[in-house]
Amino acid sequence: MRRVAAVARNAFRESVRERVLYNLLFFAVIMTVSGLLLGELSIRQDAKIIKDLGLAAMDLFGTLIALFVGVGLVSKEIERRSLHPLLAKPVSRDEFLLGKFAGLGFTLLVNVGFMTVGLYATLLALGRGADPALLKAVFAIYLALLVTVALALLLSIVTSTVVASVSTLCLVIAGRYSDVILNLGDVVPGMPAWALRAVMVLIPNFRNFDLKDRVVYGDTVSLGDLGWITAYAAAYTGTVITLAVIAFRRRELT
Amino acid sequence: MRALALVAVLLAAAVPWTQARIDARLGRHRAQEEVLYLWSGDQVRRLAPGFEDVMADVYWLRTVQYFGGQRVYAANKRFDLLLPLVDITVTLDPRMQIAYRYGATFLAETYPIGAGQPEAAVKLLERGVRSLPHDWRLRQDLGLFHYYFLDDAQRASQILLEAAELPGSPPFLATLAAQVLMKGGDRETSRQVWRRIYEQDEGPMKNNAAIHLAQLDALDALDKLNEVILAYERRTGVRPAALDEIRRAGYPGPLADPVGVPFAYDRSQGRATLARSSSLWRPNLK
Amino acid sequence: MTEAPPALDIRALSKSYRIGHLRGKRRQALRDVTLRVPRGAVFGCLGPNGSGKSTTLKLLLGLIFPDSGDALILGHPIGARAARQSLGYLPENPYFYDYLTPREYLDYAGRLFGLPPGARKDRARELLDLVGLTTAADVQMRRFSKGMLQRLGLAQALVNRPELVFLDEPMSGLDPLGRRSVREIILRLKAEGSTVFFSTHILPDAETLCDEVAVLRGGSVVAKGRLDQILSLDVSHMEVLVSGLPPDLSGLPEGVETFRAMGERLVLHVPEKQLGGVVVAVEQRGGRVLAVQPVRQSLEDFFVAEMGQPAPAEAWTAEA
Repeated sequence: MRRVAAVARNAFRESVRERVLYNLLFFAVIMTVSGLLLGELSIRQDAKIIKDLGLAAMDLFGTLIALFVGVGLVSKEIERRSLHPLLAKPVSRDEFLLGKFAGLGFTLLVNVGFMTVGLYATLLALGRGADPALLKAVFAIYLALLVTVALALLLSIVTSTVVASVSTLCLVIAGRYSDVILNLGDVVPGMPAWALRAVMVLIPNFRNFDLKDRVVYGDTVSLGDLGWITAYAAAYTGTVITLAVIAFRRRELT
Repeated sequence: MRALALVAVLLAAAVPWTQARIDARLGRHRAQEEVLYLWSGDQVRRLAPGFEDVMADVYWLRTVQYFGGQRVYAANKRFDLLLPLVDITVTLDPRMQIAYRYGATFLAETYPIGAGQPEAAVKLLERGVRSLPHDWRLRQDLGLFHYYFLDDAQRASQILLEAAELPGSPPFLATLAAQVLMKGGDRETSRQVWRRIYEQDEGPMKNNAAIHLAQLDALDALDKLNEVILAYERRTGVRPAALDEIRRAGYPGPLADPVGVPFAYDRSQGRATLARSSSLWRPNLK
Repeated sequence: MTEAPPALDIRALSKSYRIGHLRGKRRQALRDVTLRVPRGAVFGCLGPNGSGKSTTLKLLLGLIFPDSGDALILGHPIGARAARQSLGYLPENPYFYDYLTPREYLDYAGRLFGLPPGARKDRARELLDLVGLTTAADVQMRRFSKGMLQRLGLAQALVNRPELVFLDEPMSGLDPLGRRSVREIILRLKAEGSTVFFSTHILPDAETLCDEVAVLRGGSVVAKGRLDQILSLDVSHMEVLVSGLPPDLSGLPEGVETFRAMGERLVLHVPEKQLGGVVVAVEQRGGRVLAVQPVRQSLEDFFVAEMGQPAPAEAWTAEA
């Protein structure tokens, strides 16, 4: 466990030093500009727009980080051989993989955390109040990011960095179009029901993690709902990480 | 090194210059062509799964900017894009109440205040009512628009009654429904209609309602003024030469409209009307 | 009396790679390699590029997987965590993390070994001093030259005071001072009882340091054993190191067959019979005899001779 923590700590440090967190500056600019300008332009929609913008930015920036940093987490180490001296030490491949996952997970937590604070700060500065329900949407977004990291990890271990980037991106986009996939049966007439269901299950359903509309419009999202969403994320991520562990154990590191 | 810097400066200067040439040839805003580039609501929705609300906000901002820009800046005001922009906005976010109301208001208003498309406005509100069936404001607007813009007091009253039954609706809606049905077409009811909107809203819609209220006040003042002119004629046998004579004869009421523009007086007809130069003037004001 | 178990016991290790994506050709990188390295020895694994030296090391460290054969590292099978607690590894052309400083990297390594914070700090300081990186200890490694990375590589291999150290081309990228310091470190490790297994294609280094060597070629072991067993000694001639004589044949006594200059000194090749006369003659002419030793075949000579032989087996085989 301590070794996993050591790897995680280093992965977090890498993110910080490689300036991943600079995206927060961009976010701060967006929040400030919106906060200043929107009142006039939008006819009292500024609070709604700022919430929408803030959550969307968290989702978008977070996904990009999860994807592109996630893909490099292990594969970059394999390609550059920085992995080799470390694996000669008493840390197993499993521990290394889990540590990297945890490290990026923590980076994303920090990222999302700062953005949440920034969002609330902007809303408070405009006198619009800090709606705690937003945290539910933030939490769901964070779960989606973890799923993305897991996918990026698995794909980068079984293929190259470039192929992994593209395919993870495709899976993430496909996962957001889950309603289209539901209708695939109509579009592809010959498709058997079982195939359709297989596709539905395999592709991560990112719609599950999209609570933005609900939260901004004040719909109820019960703790039970959140619980099941978390369970889905845990099951999916768990499966993908386990596959990644298996793949990594078998990977030759020339 | 200096030569390179000079080259950079020249090339950079070429950018705005060539842009100016393009604008001169192809027209500065090219608003008409914009319609070609505007996608349908469903197409835009397909582009950004998971980001529909933010996209709706973007289109909303664009709508407000577009409409405001046309009203204030455009020489030949064209509101072609108002409906498509609002349509995309509410396709992306069907719960964006303000888009339905604002869109309907300015679609319905007569040109050049709005787009002059009252049927489209009503359709938009109907769509809004379908998406937000428990929102009393939208249904109220729908009823009022049927009354004011489509002259359908019957239907208006029905809808207002439906609105009155929704949770959160104010008590006067039922009364208004009855009034609309009974008096159908009279100024007092219209005044009620616009007063409701004026009290509930903000921004451009409030201003718009204020204008309608001012118009009604002006019409009331004109009615009184014209009665006085008629009485004067009967008494003296001659029509007054100008409105000043009425004033000197002791008439206390206003001789100018609520925005301060003096009423126009046509001696040949013996009638006072709103001055054409007034911002309240409309082609057929009722 | 039972023999102490070897530090490293490699048994018939084989590894092949597929060439290309479609055709079935395979390249045999290692073929039935068997070696035993006794504890406390400095063992050199020699061979030209592509002979399988790095492949052997990677197999031993569990980075790649053998087709057949196995090995016992400090008595444990490949990959056992217990073995890795006592191992050190310096890869060839090591790459670490650009964004870390050497001190931070050594701290990270220390954590992986489970060292407590105080021990990590002390050990890091000690190692940085040992490899000469103290002044650059807090500089991010993105600015490091190859030589500096090599030094850190050596340092990180020693964090846990390993019983067995694997070094893949440890002298590569180092200037002469650096090489000397690595040589000293290796000798010190030996003095402390550690076993050192290093691969190199620089033969003079191996000659100076190794007790035993194995020579690889085309994936097979073509020679192995103690240096003095492999290299034949030619005692018919002696090498005499002299100083103070002018570097031309004019001043040289008879009996000298050949000579070469080493800076201000000369190395004379003298048949054994003439040795006595030559020594006296040198001193008569005002020179001094510094050293006398039998001419030994150098490792390089051996190597070149060995490589001139036909290859032990076809290096390339079609898919079986």
